[in-house]
Amino acid sequence: MSRFALEGVHILDFAWVGVGPITTKYFADNGAEVIRVESAARLDVLRIGPPWKDATPGINRSQFFASFNSSKKGITLDLSKPKARDLAKRLVPWADIIVESFTPKAMRNWGLDYENLRELRPDLIMLSTCMQGQTGPNALYPGFGQLMAALSGFYYISGYGPGSCAPPYGAYTDFIAPRFSAFALLAALDYRRRTGKGQYIDMSQYEAAMQNLAPALIDYHATGRVLGPQANASARYAPHGAYRCADEDGNERWIAIAVASDEQWRAMLNALAANSADPRFATSSARIENAAAIDEFVESLTRAHNAHELTVKLQAGGVAAYPVENCVDIHQDDNLEAFGFWHWLEHKEMGPSPYEGLEHRMSRTPGTLRSAAPILGQDNDEVFRGMLSLRADEIEQLKKENVIF
Amino acid sequence: MPSELLKGFRLLDLTDEKGALCGKMFADLGAEVIKVEPPAGCSTRRIAPYLEDKADPEHCLYSIAYHAGKKSVTAKLATDEGRALVAELAAKSDFLVESYPLGYLDSIGLGYDVLAKKNPRLIYASITPFGDTGPGKDYNWADIITWAAGGMMYLMGEEHKPPLQMSLPQAGLHAGGEAAVAMMLAHYPRQIDGLGQRIVVNMQACIVWTLMNEQAMPFLHGNHLSRTGIFVGSTDARRKMVYECRDGHISTLIAGGTTVGNSTKALIEWMGESGFGSDWMRTKDWVSWVPGVFMKMTEQDYKEIDDLETTIQRFLLTMTKHEIYAQGLKRRIFLAPVANVADVAADEQLKARDFWTAVPHDTIGRTLTFPGPFAKMSATPIGATTRAPRIGEHTDEIYRSLLGLTPERLNKLRAAGSI
Repeated sequence: MSRFALEGVHILDFAWVGVGPITTKYFADNGAEVIRVESAARLDVLRIGPPWKDATPGINRSQFFASFNSSKKGITLDLSKPKARDLAKRLVPWADIIVESFTPKAMRNWGLDYENLRELRPDLIMLSTCMQGQTGPNALYPGFGQLMAALSGFYYISGYGPGSCAPPYGAYTDFIAPRFSAFALLAALDYRRRTGKGQYIDMSQYEAAMQNLAPALIDYHATGRVLGPQANASARYAPHGAYRCADEDGNERWIAIAVASDEQWRAMLNALAANSADPRFATSSARIENAAAIDEFVESLTRAHNAHELTVKLQAGGVAAYPVENCVDIHQDDNLEAFGFWHWLEHKEMGPSPYEGLEHRMSRTPGTLRSAAPILGQDNDEVFRGMLSLRADEIEQLKKENVIF
Repeated sequence: MPSELLKGFRLLDLTDEKGALCGKMFADLGAEVIKVEPPAGCSTRRIAPYLEDKADPEHCLYSIAYHAGKKSVTAKLATDEGRALVAELAAKSDFLVESYPLGYLDSIGLGYDVLAKKNPRLIYASITPFGDTGPGKDYNWADIITWAAGGMMYLMGEEHKPPLQMSLPQAGLHAGGEAAVAMMLAHYPRQIDGLGQRIVVNMQACIVWTLMNEQAMPFLHGNHLSRTGIFVGSTDARRKMVYECRDGHISTLIAGGTTVGNSTKALIEWMGESGFGSDWMRTKDWVSWVPGVFMKMTEQDYKEIDDLETTIQRFLLTMTKHEIYAQGLKRRIFLAPVANVADVAADEQLKARDFWTAVPHDTIGRTLTFPGPFAKMSATPIGATTRAPRIGEHTDEIYRSLLGLTPERLNKLRAAGSI
């Protein structure tokens, strides 16, 4: 038995930024050999995205890039040059899967589209993922995940009420699409094993994101109802929200609480050493109807408590609660710690750096972060000399011509 | 027709809202997905909101969306006979996904170790709010709790106001997607050596992963973001990300550099055509202007950003989000409307790609429109899904055809309340 789930699987990864690299990371962390082809013509913008080692920018200093590219090899080719494209094509027969995430015309213009590449490997599986898909009037839409989160509807349902907009942090949809694209690729691998057939997968990040909004979209099409921002309101829980706790070191602290039943309501009051004879809070449905009043009441109680201590008390009584954690807290979180979530990996230029680990654990063939992200061109020698059998002087010449850079 | 991709594989779905999407994804790719639920229906059958506000399982929008393509059988896990039926189904399944409180299925003889003895091929995934070993492994759960524990809630909202979740809970969807990927990862070695395994999905970790570049800030920059409302800024270059327009909001970002700098230039040119903006905006070299990355923000930069953001705001207020989006597309400006479901439903791109899918629902006498496939696959296209099953709709069919139960036996089980 191989040690990792995907040992022996080969991926040639032309992707950049978020969705493509996050998709291939699933494979790399599970033992597949993933070679990232970084192009001088389209250098991954995350290489200069913050945060940087010692807060000092540099193309090999970004944890933004590093987090999405653990366990991978990296080579550099200037794909705008014919010689570079020829070298890339020589790697295609080796690849079970090719992934790319440019706007649609880029790979076509380079002659590196599926129709061309499958001639080099007939059972090739290729994934193209871009903002809005390979076809349609807006296929060339330039954008990134923040804009996609607005365009697909997530910004609109985030806010304190009508007219308010308080979007999720970052490129939210970049963290939805990869779960679908990795799933599709893994299923395509199995299909190829059974049938010998490869295929082309066109993933629109817009369409993948819609899967996480399906109930609201179905509702709108059927009834015209438009889901809007409702702060933390819930039709099922009350209280339901984030409640201010005692400050710590001059910083605001909050706790999230969700109460679903009378029993939990009593347990919550008990944990807060409080009573309520208010008829508005007497039953579940009354509490949901009077959510605004209950929020005020609950916050008047939580305000004096430490968020972590209160969580333990509430959960001991069966009440769903947790501190609202910030980015310092998540690194000190006992549950993530027990799961072995965080990894400190030795990066060639950054030294020991904090990486997110896997979101799941397998019992028999567990994946792990096998190495830190590659610095630019880290594996040029191994790939060009080892795999393509180029001589040292040939590589030197290609470097002089900036084919390899 | 679902895809042919996973045809012939069977998944047993014992999840609630912590994982319903997982089975939906398998069904989309052609696997037979059997949802096992209590005779009265699983909790996901009663999640508001309901279609037309009719509070019954057939109108539950969550069920309609995320049980589509599945079959449903009932089994009362509190009875020996109900448990035995599920164990027999598991013996004939390739995948099992569950999200019961940690250890519950073990305690009734449906844990991985027991089921794998009969069926070593089984891939068994447990979706847990906080993993299976930490102090919170038995914690009670709601979607907002994971949103808070995963760090996203802290970043959503305005300073000194409460942190927010989205108005359509998301954590369970991330966990379901993660379970689907993890099970297919485990499937690959199984096709080589015939052995399955146990998977534990950690929901808190699933949300931490959505924090993009923010997690490492405390270590590398010695700071971390608080809620920034409509602003974005991991460095000292804080920018407005959301602007008002005539009928809502627009998201755009002014920045320099080779990619976004040209977009900023195009936006300024467009404003100029309508008499907005000043000369300095039009003459500035936006492509080489990258404050916060390779240069420090100066007093002048702050003043300029403020001036430009104010101008953009005045300009965008003169138009609707559709007008602005159309121009953005034409002029290749990085912008997007803050779209609601109505905007999305009217979007030309999705229509041109035949995205929307009609799914007849004889259960409620109408055809509903669903979001289409999550990907277009050339050899094994994902076609229209089928409506969510009624509670126990396939009980007889599955127990008879798969387990060989006789009608008499089924009647007995039904009378005893086991199914």
